Amino acid sequence: MPATSLYARRRITNALAMGLGTAATVLGLFFLVWILWLTLLRGIGALRGSLFTRITAYGPDGGLANAIAGSLMMDLIALAICTPICVMAGMWLAEYARLTRLGTVIRFLNDILLSAPSIVLGLFVYMIIVLPMSDLTDGAVSFSGLAGGVALALIGLPVIVRTTDEMLQLVPATLREAALSLGVPQWKLTVQLLLRAASSGIVTGVLLALARLAGETAPLLFTAFGNNFMTAHPLDKMASVPVAIYQYTNDPDPALHAIAWAGALLITLFVLALSLLTRLFLSRKKANHG
Amino acid sequence: MSSIPATIDTLDTGRRSRLDARHDRIFRGVLRFCALLVLAALLGAALSTLWGGREILFGQGLHFLTSTAWNPVEDDYGALAPVFGTLVTSLVAIVLAVPVSFGVAMFLTEIAPNWLRAPASTAVELLAAIPSIIYGMWGLFVFVPFMARIEPALTDTLGRIPLLGKLFQGPPLGLGLLTAGIVLAVMILPFITSVMREVFLTVPTRLKESAYALGSTRWEVLWDIVLPYTRSAVIGGIILGLGRALGETMAVTFVLGNSYNITSSLLMPGTSISSSIANEFNEAVGLHRSALVALGFLLFVVTFIVLLIARLMLRQLARREGR
Amino acid sequence: MDNRTAVIAAGAVTTMAAEAAHRTKIRVRDLHFHYHGFHALKGIGMDIPERQVTAIIGPSGCGKSTLLRVFNRIYAIYPGLEARGEILVDGVNVLDPAYSVNLLRSKVGMVFQKPVPFPMTIFENVAYGIRHHEKLSRADLAGRVEQALRSAALWDEVKDKLKQSALGLSGGQQQRLCIARAIALKPEVLLLDEPTSALDPIATGRVEQLIDELKRDYTIVIVTHNMQQAARVSDCTAFMYLGELVEFGATATLFTKPTKRQTEDYISGRFG
Repeated sequence: MPATSLYARRRITNALAMGLGTAATVLGLFFLVWILWLTLLRGIGALRGSLFTRITAYGPDGGLANAIAGSLMMDLIALAICTPICVMAGMWLAEYARLTRLGTVIRFLNDILLSAPSIVLGLFVYMIIVLPMSDLTDGAVSFSGLAGGVALALIGLPVIVRTTDEMLQLVPATLREAALSLGVPQWKLTVQLLLRAASSGIVTGVLLALARLAGETAPLLFTAFGNNFMTAHPLDKMASVPVAIYQYTNDPDPALHAIAWAGALLITLFVLALSLLTRLFLSRKKANHG
Repeated sequence: MSSIPATIDTLDTGRRSRLDARHDRIFRGVLRFCALLVLAALLGAALSTLWGGREILFGQGLHFLTSTAWNPVEDDYGALAPVFGTLVTSLVAIVLAVPVSFGVAMFLTEIAPNWLRAPASTAVELLAAIPSIIYGMWGLFVFVPFMARIEPALTDTLGRIPLLGKLFQGPPLGLGLLTAGIVLAVMILPFITSVMREVFLTVPTRLKESAYALGSTRWEVLWDIVLPYTRSAVIGGIILGLGRALGETMAVTFVLGNSYNITSSLLMPGTSISSSIANEFNEAVGLHRSALVALGFLLFVVTFIVLLIARLMLRQLARREGR
Repeated sequence: MDNRTAVIAAGAVTTMAAEAAHRTKIRVRDLHFHYHGFHALKGIGMDIPERQVTAIIGPSGCGKSTLLRVFNRIYAIYPGLEARGEILVDGVNVLDPAYSVNLLRSKVGMVFQKPVPFPMTIFENVAYGIRHHEKLSRADLAGRVEQALRSAALWDEVKDKLKQSALGLSGGQQQRLCIARAIALKPEVLLLDEPTSALDPIATGRVEQLIDELKRDYTIVIVTHNMQQAARVSDCTAFMYLGELVEFGATATLFTKPTKRQTEDYISGRFG
């Protein structure tokens, strides 16, 4: 009998653990579905045409046109700054520093930068761009879309560096050997062949970075600041959807809350669509490799 | 076709290969410079906040680190309250999120039927991509009122337990450390889960199969085989989540209550480093601003150390796998 | 079987003639190779005749691919690998660090085990190397590409789809494309590293036939794990074992009257 009772106890422990695991999943998903559902519900409830046509200066009767434009502009600035730099950094890691000590250190620190507090990166850009600009121009230029773009670039940087590095490492060594055996120099090989072979993976990295930086609020607070009017000048203070949401959420006016929810829905959809797209991209690439 | 292959002019080739070598050197130098920018970003973030906070850090460093005061009128600043809030909310978040994440990771790798595993895992990873401000909004508009309703019940039940009860005293504001901790927990849940899931998947199938062959139950395989095999990486994933929680701004700013308190109760409002900076930076001048930047420096240093430990522990598993 | 004996016999005749007629193209002297502390090649010395096919055979791990990879210094792209000794191509030591690798690699082409088409069009694949080494007009370039593809016996199959991606070709076609890419640079030596190990028998036959045609213009060194292939395509054969060159001589002699015990054991299939 002790053998059976031991067996029974093991089975009960197992069933209990499996039950708790399932319950944890249900609990976790419950919260996350709750949040998504609420965003969808309140966001759709607040969606209206004026959201895209009117600027935030109109307050409760306005929309987010300037914030949307500002967000797009700063996201573009960020990608324009960080894509070339990060792709080159990733190339160096994968092609020249695969096993070197400096390469290992940089790869490691890049992973840390991936989860570094974004608000500190905002402070960093404030210290190195906003303050000096303000000093140089006697305060005429201080917070700017450019500074916001740089701050967002810092958010995207580790993502693109990492994917470029990983994707280039996936390119088979035989391709390098084949090109080098033709007497082609390393730089030509890297730019013309490896980059092409890894291009879809690198595009994935850029999209992934965009998905991350598009929803960031904290680094924009003291770099781009915010602006109630439409502007396309990168040295102006610039509005963005996340910062507009932040300001409207802090406001007691329920009409502004509604607009904030609509903005939240826009960002969430944008980010989720991008993430989904990158996943499709990646899984297709994996299928090709396998 | 049978013509004798002509040799390429050697002189010309010599010049070209010298050119090639020079281009290679330039190319390599440019790439290396870009890679060093990663270092520069981290170093720059540390140094610039150190510089911005120099008045406070070098002028009254000890007072700043040990004082609970935060008084812009009298220009008296201490870091203890925001540091306390940051640590407590992150700790609450970790304590709540880790068991749930473990359960979800277990479900995704061991319990769920095969057809469910891939889509459910994708869902978890998509949730990790939701911007943190959305968690903050949900926290403020929905979860705070909800907490305000259940906090009296918490005080009545958990609050009666000796010692532990101290954590659950106070007015049912809804806002506060506990609420912020829970919102953070929900936010880092997908992070920790996806790290744990990936880590569990690295356990070689033959290892698990041989345990199953001995008649082990799924739980026994997980507890006795998978977890010991992946221990350091699992802890690394948890610390990674802690790093996220420490540095998070938008998920907590709305729901903390922004008050410079150090209390024994989790139901009381508080503040955190990041939310202090977010709330006050644009209105702050002089010493106040310096104090906020100094807080940023502290946050950066602490998260850097935490993340460093996390990455080192995650790397151990990768090493064993020979990656 | 009869067929093969005939091939070997014919080979013997050409080799005997060749030994008088063919001058040495590559002279290897006391070549040692180390990687990460492992002594992979131990004092190799051999004379590879011009415009002949030289096969290098031996069990896996004997260093035959390593030897081949020293000839064009492709090993040098990895850190921690070191070759000592001399490899004289036309009397010039190409292992001398002062000797430009790019020049060496334009003189000594290489084709690998698995076909490695570049992710571009068929035309671009062949033109890629030429463009780097020579400035040619469009027409001249097209002519060179056609000539290379013809030499690689691929022209008729691809002439209508030069603008299509090379990744769409079959394995055998891809390998012949790689050969075309290598000979488009007009090298003097062609190194083939188990070029048919990833191909089916029909594609293998075609590549072997091609090798036979190419030796009119090029000095060919082929590494193969397939003894029959060595017997079919080569004029001279080198047998390597544990990093040493055991026996080197005319293919017909080596396969019929090996002088060393290890060679005999290997070709009779007792190990390897």
